[in-house]
Amino acid sequence: MKAGAVELGEVSSKVVAQRRGMNRGASIVDFILRLVAFAGTLGSAIAMGTTDETLPFFTQFIRFKAEYNDLPTFTFFVVANSVVSVYLILSLLLSIYHIVRTGSRSSRVVLIFFDTAMLALVTAGASAASAIVYLAHKGNVRANWFAICQQFNSFCERISGSLIGSFIAMVVIILLILLSAVSISRR
Amino acid sequence: MKSGEATAINIPESSTESKGKGVAAATPVVATTHTATKAIQLGKAPGGWKRGIAILDFVVRLFGIAAALTATTVMGTTDETLPFFTQFFQFQASYDDLPAFTFFVVANAVASAYLVLSLPFSIVSIVRPHAVGARLLLLIFDTVMVALTTAGASAAAAIVYLAHNGNSSANWIAICQQFNGFCQRISGAVVASFIATVIFMFLVVIASIALRKH
Repeated sequence: MKAGAVELGEVSSKVVAQRRGMNRGASIVDFILRLVAFAGTLGSAIAMGTTDETLPFFTQFIRFKAEYNDLPTFTFFVVANSVVSVYLILSLLLSIYHIVRTGSRSSRVVLIFFDTAMLALVTAGASAASAIVYLAHKGNVRANWFAICQQFNSFCERISGSLIGSFIAMVVIILLILLSAVSISRR
Repeated sequence: MKSGEATAINIPESSTESKGKGVAAATPVVATTHTATKAIQLGKAPGGWKRGIAILDFVVRLFGIAAALTATTVMGTTDETLPFFTQFFQFQASYDDLPAFTFFVVANAVASAYLVLSLPFSIVSIVRPHAVGARLLLLIFDTVMVALTTAGASAAAAIVYLAHNGNSSANWIAICQQFNGFCQRISGAVVASFIATVIFMFLVVIASIALRKH
């Protein structure tokens, strides 16, 4: 009865061991990528949150002091990046658990769920802030919105640079989701 | 009998003949039929709920097409002209005045085109519940689409917020006070796009649930 020995979906043990090895490698890469994303979001939050520029002159119509919480979008950006960096630190624990116990699938699905939510959050913060930064650089003739970057140079450079870390973190989180999905499908 | 899922277990004698053989021969037959039914049951149950998830995925994709298409068309057809003018102020507003809105229209157009093109792959995963490749491909692109639609929706939301409230520190006036119909349309388009984003997130999560093997 040789036919009864091979059950549905069973492969040889060598392939299973190879797959587990690759999944363990993927879990280690996952851990490293999480650290990179954490650095990106933390850097962005700090860079945006510490902006403060005062020009040395004033008139009675225009304020000549600019900081991040003058624009609610930038406040949202700082908050979103802080939340995502805290989440990434906490999910490092789950990532370590996946390195140790490569076979667990339900916790990977939970990780994908939260990673997707955090992807949406960091993308929302980064793109809302880029819309405002673009407006600050160029202004808008139709809406009569004046380009404030022409006066606030270092403020503008700061807010533009802080977007970079956030976008890098967004790409890294996409890679994390794909890595988890491939690990789930290979097990 | 589901195709391709049952193993071929050779039961060498028919049921009428097995009565004639001894007890010793009957026991291994019982053992193999036990493994046969267990194998068939293992093959049948995951196919059942995976197929259900694939059908849910297809239906939700249709809703996603509706949402993304609504967002694209509502934003893309905004055009409001106020019936008076001065020499300093333009009193015409359309979506391509603001680059964030142009990006919004493009992003949602790409998202709806992707959703339409992904329908065949969704049908493939309904027909073959154990096909990993189609689901994984859809999951990869769905993740990228989450990022794209969120980016478009939130960039437009930032501008819509500014249009509603203005900003006193930057001396930006709230243009919604004049352009009422324009403002309502762009706000509605942003809401539809956020709904499409949530739909994409849902698709990613259920695809990852369905990728599990047993």
